Amino acid sequence: MAASVVLGEALALGLASGPACIAACGPVLVPSLLTERAGLRPNARYLSVFLAARLLGYMLFAAAAWELGALVSLPPTPRVLVMGAVNVLLAGVLIWYAWSARSLCGHSCAGEKLVNIEGTKNRRAAGPAALGLLTGLSLCPPFVAAGVRAAELGSVAQALLFFFFFFIGTSVWFMPFISFGCIARNEAVITVARMAMALIALYYASLGIAMLIGRKVYGY
Amino acid sequence: MATNAQSPRLARPEPRGIGWSLLLTLPIAVWALLMLFRPGMDTDPKSRIAAALTALFMTALFFMMMRTGNTYRWRRLFFVSVGVLFPVGFIYNIVSVRGTMGIPVEEMIAGRTPFCFMPIPLLILPAALTRKLVFPGSIGPGGGASGAGMAAMVGIWLAMTLVLGKGWCSYACFFGGIEEGVAAIPARAKIRKIDPRWRHGPWAVLLAMVLLSLALFEPAYCMWLCPFKAVSEYIAARNLIGLFQNAIFVLLFAGLVIVLPFLTKKRTQCSFFCPFGAFQSIFNKISAFEVKIDKERCKPCVLCQNACPNMSLTRESIARGETLMSCMKCGACVDACPRQAVVWHIKGTEIAWKPERARLMFLYAAWAMAIMFGGTIIYGGVATILHFIA
Repeated sequence: MAASVVLGEALALGLASGPACIAACGPVLVPSLLTERAGLRPNARYLSVFLAARLLGYMLFAAAAWELGALVSLPPTPRVLVMGAVNVLLAGVLIWYAWSARSLCGHSCAGEKLVNIEGTKNRRAAGPAALGLLTGLSLCPPFVAAGVRAAELGSVAQALLFFFFFFIGTSVWFMPFISFGCIARNEAVITVARMAMALIALYYASLGIAMLIGRKVYGY
Repeated sequence: MATNAQSPRLARPEPRGIGWSLLLTLPIAVWALLMLFRPGMDTDPKSRIAAALTALFMTALFFMMMRTGNTYRWRRLFFVSVGVLFPVGFIYNIVSVRGTMGIPVEEMIAGRTPFCFMPIPLLILPAALTRKLVFPGSIGPGGGASGAGMAAMVGIWLAMTLVLGKGWCSYACFFGGIEEGVAAIPARAKIRKIDPRWRHGPWAVLLAMVLLSLALFEPAYCMWLCPFKAVSEYIAARNLIGLFQNAIFVLLFAGLVIVLPFLTKKRTQCSFFCPFGAFQSIFNKISAFEVKIDKERCKPCVLCQNACPNMSLTRESIARGETLMSCMKCGACVDACPRQAVVWHIKGTEIAWKPERARLMFLYAAWAMAIMFGGTIIYGGVATILHFIA
């Protein structure tokens, strides 16, 4: 099969899977983006780092799985353990992110004024990078669909290229998130985003721990 | 301004005459009879007695509102009754039909989950992206345990919400009454200083639950965080995680609905947690009715701020002459103001334009809804109690 056809297929698969990717990454991406500075440029920068780290996560997972010969048939037990560990790590990063965001409104939280965000340098790259990497490592349904197709290709290089084009296709759907830069950041927005991150972190933590101790997630 | 032309009214208005109050109550009495004796209601004597008692109760409360000019006290009686009687009727029905309060997955898949308004905001994004409802109930007539179908219930909710905004939370919600009742028990609040940032809690829960519902394709709030699962139907715990989920429900109920309202004299679950309340706040922006503060009359004594069960008044908002968008239109601030500076108001009119008329128009709409939802719930609870007594 011509390489261009396969890569076109990856791109189409990515474009078609975009809404599912947004749904899977939304709980992490939206509140963390809301704690960034207002403005299209900072939000575009955040999204670029997040997506680049997510791509790295994809590639790492694909390469490791290929080497283990388990891209498609990863046994359920290790898969659940990996997912559990990723979820616990994700919860940890979210909590750290929510905690570190408390300094963002330090100067103006007492009033309704817009926030002058200071001291964000250390979290500007590390935060979105960690979150992007961990969401990239999560086995979301679109990722599995791409993995199944990539496993049919002849070499690890082709599989990685397939994942890259799949990633490009899904990333188109993330572009509207740059518009979050137009939302004014005041005390209310930052606090809501921080509280939401903490809640989502609790969810991921309980999900991850449940997976690690081998329990069903739901009570039915 | 019209307010300058009028002299400030410092004294409470005289109570309305009995005849005039009765006349104003007549439409509500007719509505109560129509709602509670409508075709399809049970016709056995105990059910008839329950319906008559409920109609009388709802009509009498409205009459007292008309007669005394006081809204909050009488509304609270209704609201607490709904909160207390809802679990009575609901649990009895669920146990009669299902044999247990726990809902197993088979019932969910079959769409036999009773309708609840709480997950409405959680349904929107998944429905928009996939045209599927993540709430396990049937959309058409005959669906769900109530038989009303989700489409009809959501339609009624939308119509009432457009008119009353967050007034829903004071006149239609069948959960908030328990905490309002608990908050009324102590004479004084033991905790008076509450960090105002907790007011953002409902928005945070809303954001988190909307995003998680989309990601998980399930109503995440119902699965993990609803405090009222403790007194309605819980998840049938078949393993450790199910037990964990139910422990969350019970702890949230004990903390937010019992302990904190008792300590703070506030509706803490509504003020700091309920995502549906945050969602309803958005509709306060377009609802025709609101509570305003006449700055000409207001001498900022903050009695209204202290009376508000929802922390929807701050010194800043009082200075602006308005409530926060989280106002539930319960009427506590209006009744607490000794200078009658806090008034019911219809958008687009001047602030001092016949506030009693604005109150009446709001109360007719709100009480009609109260009878439709709350009246039916009170009836169900009373009928259940009569069933057990007789």
